[in-house]
Amino acid sequence: MDNTETQPTPTPKYWMSLEQWRKDPEFIKMAETEFLSSPLQSDDGQDGWARREFLKLMGASLALTTFGCVRRPAQKIIPYAKKPFDVIHGIPNYYASSSVDGHEGIGILVTTRDGRPIKIEGNPDHPANKGGMSVRAHSTILKLYDPDRFTSAKHNLQNKTRSNRETVNVKWEDLDKGVTEQLKKGKVALLMGTNLSPSTAALVEDFSSATGAKVYHYDDICYSGLAAGQKASYGSEVVPKYNLEQAKYIVAINNDFLGTWLTPIRFQREFGARRKANAEMNKLVVFEPLLTLTGSNADERYRIRPSQSLDVVMAILNEIVNVRKQSRFSGDANVQRTLGAFSKNQADLGFNVAEVAEQLWKNRGQSLVLTGGLSAGTEDEAALHAATNFLNSVLENDGKTIDGSGAPIAKGAKGQLGELLTALNAKEVNTLIIHGCNPIYSLPASSKFREALGNTEMVIYTGDRNDETGKLADYLAVDHHPLENWGDLESYEGVYSIQQPTIRPLYDTRAFQDSLLVWTKASGKASTRSKGAATWYDYLHTHWKDSIYSAHKGKSNAGSFDDFWIELLQVGVLNSGKASGGSRSLASNSLNDIKPAQRRSGFELALYPTIGLGDGSMANVPWLMEFPDPVTKITWENYASFSIKDAVQLKLREGQFVKLTVGDHSLEVPAHIQPGQADGVVGLAVGYGRVGGGKVTDGYGVNGFALAKMVNGKRVTAGLETRVETLSRSTKLACVQDHHSMEGRQIVIEETLQDHIKNPGGNVHRHKLTSMWSGHEYKGRKWGMTIDLNSCTGCGACMVACQSENNIPTVGKEYILTGREMYWIRVDRYYTGTPEEPGVVNQPVTCMHCDNAPCETVCPVAATTHSDEGTNDMIYNRCVGTRYCSNNCPYKVRRFNWFNYTQLQEPRNLALNPEVTQRFRGVMEKCTFCIHRIKFHTYRAKIEDKKLKDGDIKTACQQSCPTDAITFGDLNDPNSEVAKLFAAPSSYALLEELNTKPAVRYHVKVRNSDHLKDAPVHHGGKHAEAGEHS
Amino acid sequence: MKKILGVVAAAGVVGLCVWVYVLTTNKITMGYNQGYMPDQPIPFEHKLHAGKLQIDCKYCHTSVEVTRHASIPSLNVCMNCHMVVKTDSPWIQKITEAYNSGKSIAWNKVHLLPDHVKFNHSMHIRAGKDCTTCHGNVAEMSKIYQNASLAMGWCVNCHRLPENHAPITCATCHY
Repeated sequence: MDNTETQPTPTPKYWMSLEQWRKDPEFIKMAETEFLSSPLQSDDGQDGWARREFLKLMGASLALTTFGCVRRPAQKIIPYAKKPFDVIHGIPNYYASSSVDGHEGIGILVTTRDGRPIKIEGNPDHPANKGGMSVRAHSTILKLYDPDRFTSAKHNLQNKTRSNRETVNVKWEDLDKGVTEQLKKGKVALLMGTNLSPSTAALVEDFSSATGAKVYHYDDICYSGLAAGQKASYGSEVVPKYNLEQAKYIVAINNDFLGTWLTPIRFQREFGARRKANAEMNKLVVFEPLLTLTGSNADERYRIRPSQSLDVVMAILNEIVNVRKQSRFSGDANVQRTLGAFSKNQADLGFNVAEVAEQLWKNRGQSLVLTGGLSAGTEDEAALHAATNFLNSVLENDGKTIDGSGAPIAKGAKGQLGELLTALNAKEVNTLIIHGCNPIYSLPASSKFREALGNTEMVIYTGDRNDETGKLADYLAVDHHPLENWGDLESYEGVYSIQQPTIRPLYDTRAFQDSLLVWTKASGKASTRSKGAATWYDYLHTHWKDSIYSAHKGKSNAGSFDDFWIELLQVGVLNSGKASGGSRSLASNSLNDIKPAQRRSGFELALYPTIGLGDGSMANVPWLMEFPDPVTKITWENYASFSIKDAVQLKLREGQFVKLTVGDHSLEVPAHIQPGQADGVVGLAVGYGRVGGGKVTDGYGVNGFALAKMVNGKRVTAGLETRVETLSRSTKLACVQDHHSMEGRQIVIEETLQDHIKNPGGNVHRHKLTSMWSGHEYKGRKWGMTIDLNSCTGCGACMVACQSENNIPTVGKEYILTGREMYWIRVDRYYTGTPEEPGVVNQPVTCMHCDNAPCETVCPVAATTHSDEGTNDMIYNRCVGTRYCSNNCPYKVRRFNWFNYTQLQEPRNLALNPEVTQRFRGVMEKCTFCIHRIKFHTYRAKIEDKKLKDGDIKTACQQSCPTDAITFGDLNDPNSEVAKLFAAPSSYALLEELNTKPAVRYHVKVRNSDHLKDAPVHHGGKHAEAGEHS
Repeated sequence: MKKILGVVAAAGVVGLCVWVYVLTTNKITMGYNQGYMPDQPIPFEHKLHAGKLQIDCKYCHTSVEVTRHASIPSLNVCMNCHMVVKTDSPWIQKITEAYNSGKSIAWNKVHLLPDHVKFNHSMHIRAGKDCTTCHGNVAEMSKIYQNASLAMGWCVNCHRLPENHAPITCATCHY
């Protein structure tokens, strides 16, 4: 079907994919097919096994096999030889620790059972995330149990060009001997990713002064542009702390702060806290080239090209300063001249600049303009940051919604990557130590970094495998996984937390810090604090005692440092409660040199990190590879995304390969047609296309970083002119969205803020419901859940939380294509409005635990039953796999085990939760309302003779939601939070008209906007009889 | 092809008949393991410890009141006494050696519940059930064996008694 043909009418108002919007016959056929394929069906459907033959054979084999199994196989019980005091078989222990992902440092609680960590949860006491989690934070547990990790230090035997590679094991003593001798030759450089650990910073300083090492800073997804912009405007190279909770009017210009930028968990939490439907509700205006998670949550959204980001900022500034003559800069001739030069670019931006400027000015001091990220990393990124800082200062946001008093981006660093490249090329580096980044992967070939490494005598890498950078290193001083290592964290100024090991190191690895300590001492010039520390733990302990504890003594009730230390290990956090730094003085000349960029006519490239893979460092975690992108819902690979108009012009079909060329570099990648994307933009995700990343990730997708360009030592990732050629071959992108079409009925209900305040739930279409069932009686408790669609941002943390908690397998790309994904909770994404300018709504869907459950009535073996507490239970050993239940479930939440997925490669099986049954091939499974948690807490309450309180039991999804969108509890307790939310007028049930009486209800989504993208829909289907309406 | 399938199907029907006959006439108690009494790596005597010496069950099976597992004692529990008691016995020496080396002893599991069943010891103890209700008179057993059938019918029969106030929804045990 060609894209160019006219749209048939009527189109559905809420749609899930372009195929559905166009009423593509193929889509309709697929939507009608419940199960996309049968395991016994061959491709043409002719010579497959017929069902009857299969049953006959099964009968025979059953008869033959049952004689053999009289006794079940013998099993062994191996108790501890010396049981640790605090380990009780069957009761988990929680350790407060910290987790770092780029610039985001959060507090976590690590669930350990029988001495092995099995799940990571957010620490509710940590002020940064307050219990919130992300997809990636959950996934670090599988990085610990990654089978492809190196189990000991390695020595790569390199030739001159660093291309001859034979990898041999090396003993740590031998490695240390080699490294120490090399370090004595001087000219040492240490290239480090962002370090948020104060003790590590001190150790690096010691190492640097003992060996003369120069420290350089680089991240695969780098915020050095942001920090440089801060320096240009305010004088110091910081990454500021943004306080979204105080922001009532937020303008995000090419910035995905809810999804991937800087500290998304904290941003989500703070954004969500201000997202309550009242007069103080925040408003989000987004300008962006690609449709991101932030854009999905926007109240108003405008499409721009990456090169237009600066134009938008300048247009707003011009309106405020020049047109309205507001702020103290209104008379500044230099500012007027700079802004004037941009006025010709304003015409085609397509937004009401007067309105945005007025709202920003009206909310000055509680507004916020955000910009930055890979897709904003254009050649004039510095100007973009300077202009945005200027705008925020004009709006008096600095010191209020922006706190710029924090520490510099890389304490003690000599410079960024550019300076290291210069030093390498000048042969000023004999030894290079690389830690916490993967520059060979994330730098384009034009950086010549690979060639520059040839100028060094030795490269030492702390990564845990021979990945892109590892292959070029001489020694791999394999670092611990954070869950095996001590550490600390300063999430932001004054908020400290501790990182403690939760398992003995699985392999013969060594903490990076221990390596530094050994090498520092071996140099013979170690400082006293390094000399005094036998191990990294000693060093950390002493650093806390001498520096952090002594500075914050007053904040703790502990009498001595030892008491304080124990308390810290228990609580995990030290919040010194530092006040915001106040507004900084703006360099008023910072705008002077900014000129409009040359207009580009062709395609502009916009690289971006995905919520799952981010910088690609955790790409070997199957959960992340299979995690559907919250916007496109595509799994397992990356793709070049195009706007609909561009796709029509290029005659592109979904999945057709295109060749993208930037300068001399080109990539062949399948195309994806993305509603809401700006015209003239090609989007390409980074993090994929790893080489040596591991068995899970290698071979999936392409490395988007290859198309970046190095300009003056800085990596440019957006706005690059891109040539697009269409190729004839195509592939199928493994997308999970079309499998669960809801056929345009009343699924997600939206209301504007004014309407909602006047009449909450006014858009909900109520039905008169009759039932042929007498209903259940719940004498004790009755469990229920509400999901607030207004708070939900669609980030998907709940999906991976559930996956981690409930041992949910990944199935691989091939089976995603056949609709066999196993998620117990999924996040559906619907578009509203037109494909060019769509609105986006997200809806987490789990088992509804219906009172009138359609699945229960059709199960021929009563394997799914209703409990007296309202849960709909799956009895796995009764299930024979007829899949009738799934057929009859209107919500499509039931999942079938086509294979025995539980045979995991060791040691991944260590991450399994022993409280949740492993499901075997041939049985159905679905959300259980975390029944094992319900049992655990009710039993604990009984044993301790306590009454179960509302909120004692939290489901895994609820626990990790950064915006607290999910509430769970006892509906029979009228004072419980969930019972109150159930009774609220804005609550509704999914497909209420079916009268399944779900135990999960939703709350309408509220837009802080004058109008909705679409008039409210009721339901697509016609009522069966007249008069059914109430 | 059809002919072969027919033969196979006939064999299937015959097999099924035999299977049903075997089951219904108790020729073999399918998988219930009642009376199962495997040899253990160390011939630990409950008769001596629980019977003659009157050591409380909970002294060794420490977590029976707090979790679903009664738990097999770790070797340090044995060593509480056997540091000094009967150190000349080769079996005790074997335990001491295992304790010192940190390589524990692999006991043969006697009570093996079917898959997908979660039995909670602590709730039964709390309900006032004596250990012997299910495990039999352990104090008289020199070698431990499976006393009850542990079949689902055996569980449910007890749960159904009104005086026990026990839940009988499926998810009580299966989840």
